[in-house]
Amino acid sequence: MLKMTDVCKVFRTELVETHALSDFSLTIDEGEFVSITGPSGCGKTTFLNIAGLLETLTSGQYLLDGTDVSTLSDFQRAKLRNQKIGFIFQSFNLMPDLNLFDNIDVPLRYRGMKASERKQRIDQALDSVGLLSRKKHVPSQLSGGQQQRVAIARALVGKPLFLLADEPTGNLDSNTAHGVMDLLHEINADGTTIIMVTHDLELATQSRRNVHILDGRISSPVLTPVDFHRESATVGS
Amino acid sequence: METGPILRAMTRNKLGVILISLQIAFTMTVVINAFFIINERSRLMARPSGLDEANTFFLTSIGFGENFNGAVTVADDLAMLRQLPGVVDVTVTNAIPVSGSGSNSGVRLVDDESAPAAYAAYYRVDEHAVETMDLDIIAGRNFTTQEIQWRKSGEAIATDQLIISRALASRMFPEREPSAVLGETLYISGLPPHQVIGIVEQLQGPWPTNNNLELSMLQPIHSFDGADTYLLRTAPGERDRLMVEVEEMLVASNGSRIIRNLMSLERTRAESYQVDSAMSTILWVVIVTLVFITCMGIVGLAVFGINRRRKQIGTRRALGATRMQILRHFMVENFLVSGLGVTLGAVLTIGFGIGLTSIFNMPVMAWYYTPLGMLALIVIGQVAVLGPSSGAARTEPAIATRSV
Repeated sequence: MLKMTDVCKVFRTELVETHALSDFSLTIDEGEFVSITGPSGCGKTTFLNIAGLLETLTSGQYLLDGTDVSTLSDFQRAKLRNQKIGFIFQSFNLMPDLNLFDNIDVPLRYRGMKASERKQRIDQALDSVGLLSRKKHVPSQLSGGQQQRVAIARALVGKPLFLLADEPTGNLDSNTAHGVMDLLHEINADGTTIIMVTHDLELATQSRRNVHILDGRISSPVLTPVDFHRESATVGS
Repeated sequence: METGPILRAMTRNKLGVILISLQIAFTMTVVINAFFIINERSRLMARPSGLDEANTFFLTSIGFGENFNGAVTVADDLAMLRQLPGVVDVTVTNAIPVSGSGSNSGVRLVDDESAPAAYAAYYRVDEHAVETMDLDIIAGRNFTTQEIQWRKSGEAIATDQLIISRALASRMFPEREPSAVLGETLYISGLPPHQVIGIVEQLQGPWPTNNNLELSMLQPIHSFDGADTYLLRTAPGERDRLMVEVEEMLVASNGSRIIRNLMSLERTRAESYQVDSAMSTILWVVIVTLVFITCMGIVGLAVFGINRRRKQIGTRRALGATRMQILRHFMVENFLVSGLGVTLGAVLTIGFGIGLTSIFNMPVMAWYYTPLGMLALIVIGQVAVLGPSSGAARTEPAIATRSV
């Protein structure tokens, strides 16, 4: 479903050349729940941006659902993002002036979907996160956890190939974070692939597979759930 | 189209929307009415006097001293000037069209003390006036040499012929063709009855702001009162040379007079319409300034809104918006704000126009000014917001994942 081969991402300024990702190869299959961990500045966000088609790669190959996205135009990448990828952001990134219904409607409108179908999908998505009754509310009337649920509903409403979650619990207290993680597990159990970027190793243990990045490369071996506690202990010491 | 969500979002940010809409409405009201006033002024200023203005000039010969003989001087001057190469014709007159100075009189159809049917300017001229003024006789004939009464100032008027403008003929005899007016008798205050012998297509009076500017008549009289104004028409391109030459010639030919008021008819027109011209210029400055300020307001609001929502734009891009969809979002947003502004502006414009009509007795504004103004303001708004919107459309989607 997602296959990166020898992907490099270099940021250049007049003075500095920064290799954010180097020879990065990774394959993620359908239905997986993969966590991406690593210290600050290791390249997690760069990976997320490239995986989510938010940035282009400098070299290498990225196959998304069999399509080589390395050479796509900005327009084609926007269309592909809209159809295949659902985003969950750390700060929720909801539109503060739009009510919940209109917020979730945003990706569907860009897809050019009919109003009746959009309404059906939005109601269904809001119902799945338990917020259907509040669809006329604006984000500021909700708690942080509820806002992230709305963001998850927005990510799911387009029935994407996979969800890209960027520190999805980073702005939530632990109780609320657990609730959000439970919701993500439910979504994954229903067959949706989830790629979650986090620096929280405790959260990463809840994924089926972890990919640890260090200095823009995958620090081998790829950790299994059993290894997490050891890794956590290493980082903690 | 995202019209619905954009409208709903705008209702949550009312202040900025209301302020910019009011600015657009105010601008539209002032701009359209100012434009209407300018057009009206331009239309008035562009009305032809009936004369060949580009090739016509005039001067006044003022005699002094005991030996000055007005009748002889005028006869000699006219004969000499008519011989001058480049001069088409010359007449002597009591007033100059569109100069702001002249005489008028009440005109009646009956010889009584009732209110005149019209007030018309009169030019007391000789038989050369028609050619000098380049007038087009559409019915009847010109004066003959014998019909001209050369009289001393104060001497009784003995002529009874008139040439009148088509506008005066229509005013006096509304239902008749010009040719059917010939031979009719008109009564001019204090004068014997006059018979209409000719009708000219157009001849304006001396007062540009007068509502009866087009009502005028020629009388075959010249009075010698010491100051005689000559009106000269030249061949094309000869006017400026002849203005100098004629003045020098007249000064040299008779030492008992001075020459004053040497002026082209073009300059006379420009001076007479100076206030209108200045007002038009001022109104243009007002229009350009207001439109510029409004554009700045629109751009300012757009730039502020875009910068405030930069992360939202990145998020929209991440969720699949193409650059064109982002551009369209902000263009639609501006269109809605402008739409509100011009709708309010249309009401204010019409109200203001009614006020101008009733208070200042101005003509009613044509219906198309308001819709054209609305369209212009919307187009201006769209053009103004195009730059900031294009900038917004270039927002990289990766900004959505940045923490600040």
